[in-house]
Amino acid sequence: MSDRTENLLLILPGLLLLALAFFLPIFQMLALSVAGPDGPTLAHFARFLGDPYYLGILWRTVRLSLIITAICAIIGFPLAYIMARVGPRLRLWLIVIVILPLMTSVVVRTFGWMVLLSRSGLVPELLRDLGLVRRNFSLMQTETAIIIGMVQVLLPFMALSILGVITRIDPRLEEAARTMGCSFLQTLRTVILPLALPGIVAGSLLAFTLSASSFVTPSLLGGSRIEVLAASIYSSVTQTLDWPFAAAQAVILFVGVILVLIPYMKVTGRSHG
Amino acid sequence: MPAVKLDAIRKSFGKVAVLHGITLDVEPGEFVSLLGASGCGKTTLLRIVAGLESTTSGSVHIDGHDVTGLPPEDRDIAMMFQSYALLPHLSVSENVRFPLRMRRIGSREEQDERVKKVLETVQLGHLAERRPRQLSGGQQQRVALARAIVSNPKVLLLDEPLSNLDARLREDMQVELIEIHKRLGLTTIFVTHDQEEALSLSDRIVLLNNGRIEQEGAPDAIYDRPATEFASNFLGSANILPALIEGLGGTPVAVLADGQRLPLATDEPARGDVRLALRQEDIHLAIAGDGPDAEVRTRVYLGARSRYVVSLAGQTVRVLAPNDTVFEPGQRVTLTIAPERIRVLAR
Ligand SMILES: Nc1ncnc2c1ncn2[C@@H]1O[C@H](COP(=O)(O)OP(=O)(O)O)[C@@H](O)[C@H]1O
Ligand SMILES: [Mg+2]
Repeated sequence: MSDRTENLLLILPGLLLLALAFFLPIFQMLALSVAGPDGPTLAHFARFLGDPYYLGILWRTVRLSLIITAICAIIGFPLAYIMARVGPRLRLWLIVIVILPLMTSVVVRTFGWMVLLSRSGLVPELLRDLGLVRRNFSLMQTETAIIIGMVQVLLPFMALSILGVITRIDPRLEEAARTMGCSFLQTLRTVILPLALPGIVAGSLLAFTLSASSFVTPSLLGGSRIEVLAASIYSSVTQTLDWPFAAAQAVILFVGVILVLIPYMKVTGRSHG
Repeated sequence: MPAVKLDAIRKSFGKVAVLHGITLDVEPGEFVSLLGASGCGKTTLLRIVAGLESTTSGSVHIDGHDVTGLPPEDRDIAMMFQSYALLPHLSVSENVRFPLRMRRIGSREEQDERVKKVLETVQLGHLAERRPRQLSGGQQQRVALARAIVSNPKVLLLDEPLSNLDARLREDMQVELIEIHKRLGLTTIFVTHDQEEALSLSDRIVLLNNGRIEQEGAPDAIYDRPATEFASNFLGSANILPALIEGLGGTPVAVLADGQRLPLATDEPARGDVRLALRQEDIHLAIAGDGPDAEVRTRVYLGARSRYVVSLAGQTVRVLAPNDTVFEPGQRVTLTIAPERIRVLAR
């Protein structure tokens, strides 16, 4: 048997798994999204894109995902820098603290936030005691709650993406910058930030795609009135039983994510090749 | 007023004391080398001058100002790192402009002008738009040098800048450093473990040993008159022999362990038990003559010269001799040294 056929045989199980578990469902989703009573139709897409209600959901999904991604990057960059520059023991502890939330189920974590953010929860109560908000203030069922919950879920992805890049930056570059007249903050801006950019971009894409397609946390913290795209797909499937319309929404989400990913893959592909 | 004034600098990392009270003045325009074996604290001292390391005690003055507690960016210095530390995301000219930009020196046009001029000084004008990783080691090193001198700092700090280059490039760069220093007159502190480099470049050498200044002085002074065994060993790797000096009143003579005698300079004041420092290239070998007997053990051919290992008075002595007369292992030879070339070290 030649090397080629042997290789082919060896990767066959993997290819099969990919085909069955990944490409087949996507293909089915694509097929379903154009299914109509009298053959293929784009009516489901037209219905989505022509209805201000659904466009509002799409816009909210994109807007919240952007805000969540930005907040993750703003917290994640300094956090990753600190993690990269402290001693090895403290770094280990910080990594454990950062990834600990990933080890509990999303549902459990989200219920935790529900307890903290509800009308009688710790956070609104504290804000009330400080006299910052009105008496019946609640954070539950607001976009703020979704943002808080999602940032916690996605921060580890962002922080670890950036950490991987920053640990490879020679600390002597920072010292050199200091001897050339940079203050500490200027060093962060002129040396670390540009060199950490690939990590920030990778982390942002991860955070954006995960947050655009997330379902559990936005549904539980935002409630039914603040719907995001994934929740809308879910209700199309479970409540109106309109599977083709659900598939069309899923395709829109899928295409949106791909559109964000392609330029990135082009850029990183170039820098590697 | 000295350009740099170090006063009783001590430095410990945790419990480990690295510098034990360094006091040193560097005059404006002077080229001072910190010379010493690896691990003796040269880099630490340089980083303290730069402000990258704090002192445990003692003070640093630059140009008359106490800068002991100031961060590097508030000191008028430039430093060239052993690893060059070029910023990989910036082009060569942007790297060289960086200190001007961050220290707000001159307008954009003036900065352009200075960057262009300094890149020509180091013969890199044609590579201005390259990225550092597209350059060879020697070219990167020139960029680092250009970046260090472009802001015309009060003090230029160089940490073994030539140690990563191959021998040929290194000689070229030494010449270049001397010329640049002559032209710009920058006060320079140069760290090296290479005695030849220190001897050829410096106005003054500060010899460090385990965090202390062992000796300081002009290169010829420190080379010809090393004050201690460490100094004579480090500069020119001299042979050290125990001896007894006799000759009250008359010409002093050093008596070696086996009774053989070496005449000393008439003005040699030391008497009694001493050690002699004999430089390898100062010892002459002959088949017969007036001097102590020795036996050749090994000969190492070095091209223009040979290094001989001979036994003299039960000790191993290394000799560098020209190849006009060749001695074979096992041969008896006599050994002569000009009396004024013998250094007498107190026991
Ligand atoms: N940051 C540090 N932490 C602990 N020890 C250090 C540190 N920097 C240097 N040392 C120690 O201080 C001594 C002197 O180091 P260094 O100044 O780099 O010597 P040199 O440059 O002469 O080779 C060495 O023994 C080194 O291990
Ligand atoms: Mg060093």
